[in-house]
Amino acid sequence: MATRTLPLSKRGFTFETFMWAFTRFTVIAMYGLILAGILGALSLSTQTGANFGDILYWAFFPNLAENPLGQIWMTILAKLMVIAFVLSACGHGVHGVLEILDDYFTSPLARRWSRNFIITYAVVASLIAMYMIWTK
Amino acid sequence: MGLKRNVSLMTALGYKGQGPFLTYILHRIGGSALFIFFTMYILVLAGVDSVNVIFSNPIFQIVMLVFGLFHAINGLRITILDLSPKLIEHYRTAINIEWVVYALICGFAIFVVLRNALGG
Repeated sequence: MATRTLPLSKRGFTFETFMWAFTRFTVIAMYGLILAGILGALSLSTQTGANFGDILYWAFFPNLAENPLGQIWMTILAKLMVIAFVLSACGHGVHGVLEILDDYFTSPLARRWSRNFIITYAVVASLIAMYMIWTK
Repeated sequence: MGLKRNVSLMTALGYKGQGPFLTYILHRIGGSALFIFFTMYILVLAGVDSVNVIFSNPIFQIVMLVFGLFHAINGLRITILDLSPKLIEHYRTAINIEWVVYALICGFAIFVVLRNALGG
């Protein structure tokens, strides 16, 4: 099978092209953050003596668990990484859901409203996540 | 632009797209499952404690692992093939490798969930 590649300049920089690139970059960011998060949590675990699982659980559910790290810089770093991961996941997921909805909602009006709904969802979910992770 | 498709559900289900089509469908199902998971996660962060009961249910955990891990591993294959177009010629081999990796990781993850659920 012959491979086909088309340079970006010939694809046209439409909303779809932008979102395709956005989806790819966010997923690469997520893989990177997962790797960095696991290595970081392991490193913090050895430095503080805190359990690896406890660190990850607190990082993602700060309203349900006590901070096992103590030191402020560790706490800020962990929060920033989790916020970056959640925002990447939200951006990636929202575009994925939008693609699925576009396949089933065929009228222009339904597509416009599904797009409005999903973008509103992304903004609200991101704000809730950032506020809760940063302040708790 | 609206689409006009005259393909019934039964015809779609009977489509013989083989491995690549199966991964495409499972990727969508996995993405939808993760979207539900993400929404539940936001609800827990927002203080809806009842959702946490569902999170700790082993059946829910296994379902999320089965679909979520597939989505992650299949997404990694898609990304690698996207970034290295020369590898597209070997996409069926890549899918076979993906299934082996998925079976190993998912099997181990399910084992850990079941062991914890059964108090091992």
